[in-house]
Amino acid sequence: MKYFGGCDVGSTYTKCVILDETGKMVSNVTIRSKINAEKSSEEALKTVCEKVPDLGTPDKLTYLIGTGYGRNKVPSADENISEISCHAMGVHVTDPSVKAIIDIGGQDVKGIAVDTDGTVKNFAMNDKCAAGTGRFYEAMARAFEMTLPEFSSLSLTAKNVIPITAQCTVFAESEVITLVGEGKPMDEIAAGIQMAVAKRCFVMAKKAGATDRVTLTGGCAKNEGLKRAIEKVLKLQVVELKTDPQLMGALGAAEYARQKGLEKE
Amino acid sequence: MKDLKHLYYFENLLTEANNDLVRQAKAEGKLAIGYTCYHMPEVLLNLDNCFSVRIRAPRTGSMEMATYYMSNATCEYARALLERALEGGYQFLDGMAGVDVCECMNRSMENMELLKTNDQSKKGFFWCNLDSPCHDNEDAVQHVTEQVTRKVLKPLHENYGVDISDAAVRKAVEEHNEVCRLLKEIGDYRKLENPTITGHEFHILTLATYCCPKYLILDKLRETAEELKTREPDTKKNYRAKVVVVGSEIDDPDLIELIEDSGALVVADRFCYGSIPGRQEIILNDEEDAVTQVVRNYLKTTLCVRHVEPHKVQLRLDTAARLKEEYHADGIIYEQIKFCTYWSYERALASHIMQDEYGIPTLSIDRPYMSRTSGQLRTRVQAFVERLEIQKIRAAREQREKEAAGNGV
Repeated sequence: MKYFGGCDVGSTYTKCVILDETGKMVSNVTIRSKINAEKSSEEALKTVCEKVPDLGTPDKLTYLIGTGYGRNKVPSADENISEISCHAMGVHVTDPSVKAIIDIGGQDVKGIAVDTDGTVKNFAMNDKCAAGTGRFYEAMARAFEMTLPEFSSLSLTAKNVIPITAQCTVFAESEVITLVGEGKPMDEIAAGIQMAVAKRCFVMAKKAGATDRVTLTGGCAKNEGLKRAIEKVLKLQVVELKTDPQLMGALGAAEYARQKGLEKE
Repeated sequence: MKDLKHLYYFENLLTEANNDLVRQAKAEGKLAIGYTCYHMPEVLLNLDNCFSVRIRAPRTGSMEMATYYMSNATCEYARALLERALEGGYQFLDGMAGVDVCECMNRSMENMELLKTNDQSKKGFFWCNLDSPCHDNEDAVQHVTEQVTRKVLKPLHENYGVDISDAAVRKAVEEHNEVCRLLKEIGDYRKLENPTITGHEFHILTLATYCCPKYLILDKLRETAEELKTREPDTKKNYRAKVVVVGSEIDDPDLIELIEDSGALVVADRFCYGSIPGRQEIILNDEEDAVTQVVRNYLKTTLCVRHVEPHKVQLRLDTAARLKEEYHADGIIYEQIKFCTYWSYERALASHIMQDEYGIPTLSIDRPYMSRTSGQLRTRVQAFVERLEIQKIRAAREQREKEAAGNGV
């Protein structure tokens, strides 16, 4: 059996997926990214390959593709593809009915319109600012002295939403601290944060031309409170993926590796 | 490809505004006149013993001081210039010829002057802020001619004794035209199927022509043009798509390098500090005075987005489409520096119009002044390149299917 790998080196998490010749996912792993992208991918690849008994080591992969911000640092990768293309392909092989993606990663937010063959029709992406990204959530949860799942659950209990005006991570954190200091309900502040991020996602989705069959990918896709807020601003139901949405970039890279690897042979 | 013999030399000249050639010309007794914008007719700053320096702020770091004076919601290019002026980076200048083109540049220039950023010991130093109209009709030509004469030529003559005669203007135009002919010859290699010069290399050469005394770079430009006649392209193409870049100021060759590193070869430079427009010959007749003709040339050829008359808007769109065809590009990248008021409108509209009405794949980006480290920018360009590749593959497949159907297969 031949195996194909995708390694998504993100700013906060590194994800790896191994596919067999039929496109079945046989192994995956998610680890916290280190400062050195090469080391992150090395460790993730080693772990994910060890999980497949007749594969064992990354050098036995027929084709390997790197993606994510550290895509050109993946050792022994045959090539690298942008995470925008990989997320589109990853979602397409998971659910071909999806037409648009909102990907909320550690340091960026992207809106991606997917074509019928899994390629990118159009996309929009934030610039340097980390507002509304995973880093933003980490800072907010820290201000609440909570874990991310606790923060998400808290936002779901709110009956009202307190609007957060600042989008900048630093200013938003100080605004949250001020609101908490004023004795405003914590759940309503949390809901306000979710709404602020959802509005940013709305912009990216609209810029990319998303109309229906929208799904969320990236680590923040697991944030139920954010998902609900996005559904509210976009006025549609977000499509649930059968596979972990955080793995979509790596899955897309692995699928491209499978297609290219088989074609090469 | 084999490295261009003088590329490193030219690149080195871009590391500071007061570069080796500027210092050499100054040592020879020449006058350095700074300017910032296409709307200041560059050629009129190259009269007699003067030479023009289109100012930049290479290696810009923090812009805290300029931000204090201008606020952070302003164009980083304008702020970077002010920051560099506050750091004393333009003290070599003997005059500054600014143009009233946008609020940010106005504030930048105003602060440079109020904060006395020029060398105070230079008694002949003059500041000017040229009033530039948003039209290109004959009233506008007359208005700018009067402005240039009063605010630039007069102080040059009165303060420094510069020869501003018609003959001096015509001589400066001749030198300008020689630079343009050389750059056109060099730039035309970008039209080849497999270009023998990269966008990054070409941008370095173009920038050098804006930032250095022209008479000191002509020899090396000629040698480069000669060298390119026999330069062999790489056997294996090291780009995946060709693009035209359209937009606001790019005075940092690293941005072009970033785009090319992401797989998109830049074959046409339709941006400020680029060669289109800016490096086209000025043709003068003998009937009319040279200054008026020069002014008319700049007003007619400008592709600046502050000109919002319908015929200019249309001209800009058509030019972008024409360049895409002429240089055999696969798509267009519209870019702007953040908070540029004019380009915010133009980029938002044009990037849709080019895609929807002209059918040209377009990427739209806004960026900081210095963007060489932007991972997001790399991702956006790479994803655009991947999209262009897919479209090419699809088009080829459709063509094959069509041919097969035609052959009755």
